[in-house]
Amino acid sequence: MRIVGTERLEDCFDGSSAYSYCFNGRWTRTDILALDALGQVDYYPGFPRPFFRVRGREGWVVKGVEGEDNCHAVFPGRGAEEGKQRFEAQFGDDAEG
Amino acid sequence: MSIYLNNAATSWPKAPGVPEAVSAALQAPPSDGRRQGGRADDCLEQCRCRIAHLLGVPDADRVVLTSGATEALNLAVWGVPLTHGSRVVTTVAEHNSVLRPLYHRSRPLRCRVTHVAVSPDGELDTSGFERALADGADLVAVTHVSNVTGRAMPVSELFRASKAAGAVTLLDASQSLGHLDVRPDELGADLVAFTGHKGLGGPQGTGGLYVAPYLELAQIRVGGTGVRSELLAHPQEMPLRLEAGTPNTPGLAGLAQALQWHEFEGVAARGRVADRCAALRQGLSELPGVRLLGAGTSPAGIVSFTVEGWPVEDVGQVLLESFGVTGRTGLHCAPLIHGPLGCAPWGTVRLSAGPFTTEDEVAAAVSAVGSIAVCA
Repeated sequence: MRIVGTERLEDCFDGSSAYSYCFNGRWTRTDILALDALGQVDYYPGFPRPFFRVRGREGWVVKGVEGEDNCHAVFPGRGAEEGKQRFEAQFGDDAEG
Repeated sequence: MSIYLNNAATSWPKAPGVPEAVSAALQAPPSDGRRQGGRADDCLEQCRCRIAHLLGVPDADRVVLTSGATEALNLAVWGVPLTHGSRVVTTVAEHNSVLRPLYHRSRPLRCRVTHVAVSPDGELDTSGFERALADGADLVAVTHVSNVTGRAMPVSELFRASKAAGAVTLLDASQSLGHLDVRPDELGADLVAFTGHKGLGGPQGTGGLYVAPYLELAQIRVGGTGVRSELLAHPQEMPLRLEAGTPNTPGLAGLAQALQWHEFEGVAARGRVADRCAALRQGLSELPGVRLLGAGTSPAGIVSFTVEGWPVEDVGQVLLESFGVTGRTGLHCAPLIHGPLGCAPWGTVRLSAGPFTTEDEVAAAVSAVGSIAVCA
């Protein structure tokens, strides 16, 4: 999975920054569960289209749906840029997987 | 599966015949009855007359057609005579389309603006309202139905006290027109702002403002009217006094159709909205971990709630993306009510039924929320 598009969304009122990411593939169960390397994964396979949420150690949150090629990420106000860079590095050109 | 439960934001599907009326207006050679000497079948005048009929007011010329409730509320708030130190009373239940015009209007004049509170179940603090009027008031602006809790305000009672205090009364009927009787005379409303795209089932970009015959608002927008073009000064007679520029004829053609449909089907539609809302509220109330906001069934079909252990935004996203249920989450542009309701700063999940919402759709939405709630 690699990021192929990034869009800045409206800033959150709590000072966080929100982004929408587009990937070169669709989220599979395996991809989602592999995100536990980044933080706590909440995965809901019982939903008709399974939802997932990852809470990163730096406070960021990533949310998406299995089968889609995108996800939303919210990075908290303090350290937002560092969190964003760390998340994006996981899905950059040099990333594994 | 796609279930639309966001009718409090904008109605969908539209009232029967509305898309066709808009399309027909766009495809026909443009005409403007007013500018061509007035025609009985002119859709603007049809709209005006049908709205006057719906409001129970005798003079359709007191109905100003606007791009929606926001423009209507701005016309009202900026048109009412306020001076340095004027007193304004409103409520925490108001939408930003009331709060922001009031803020911008009152700030340079150093007006005293009081936002009357609501209880944790959304009931207006009527004692607080009376206290706010104690020193008199120049303008009172109140929503008829909260767009967050769906609860109707005791407008007659509030406006009776407001008028006794000397205030001009402004009713925001955005969430009520089409769902409730909105009769300015009975409610004591000097001004009624409304939209066409919610309870009336008309197109976005339509709405209006009723101005009582004894009230004259200042003009905040002037320009072309298609008549009296030889004058540099904007015409003073209503409704032209408060209308300028090319009207949204296709949208108003759609609204005229919606109003016509409403005249025949409105009572039955109200019943369906109330039934679906009651079923939605009842179903959600039986789910563990779901907290309903407000009390009782909303006449506008609105149910707001939170789900224990889930951010409201995530509930909205899961409902939409995993279950195909369109609702709305957050503050709903009414930022002040969430503190008293105990759901600040994130707001609520709001589902809102319309006249075409089915029983199966309600059941599916309740089931979806139940699936989310058990995963907390």
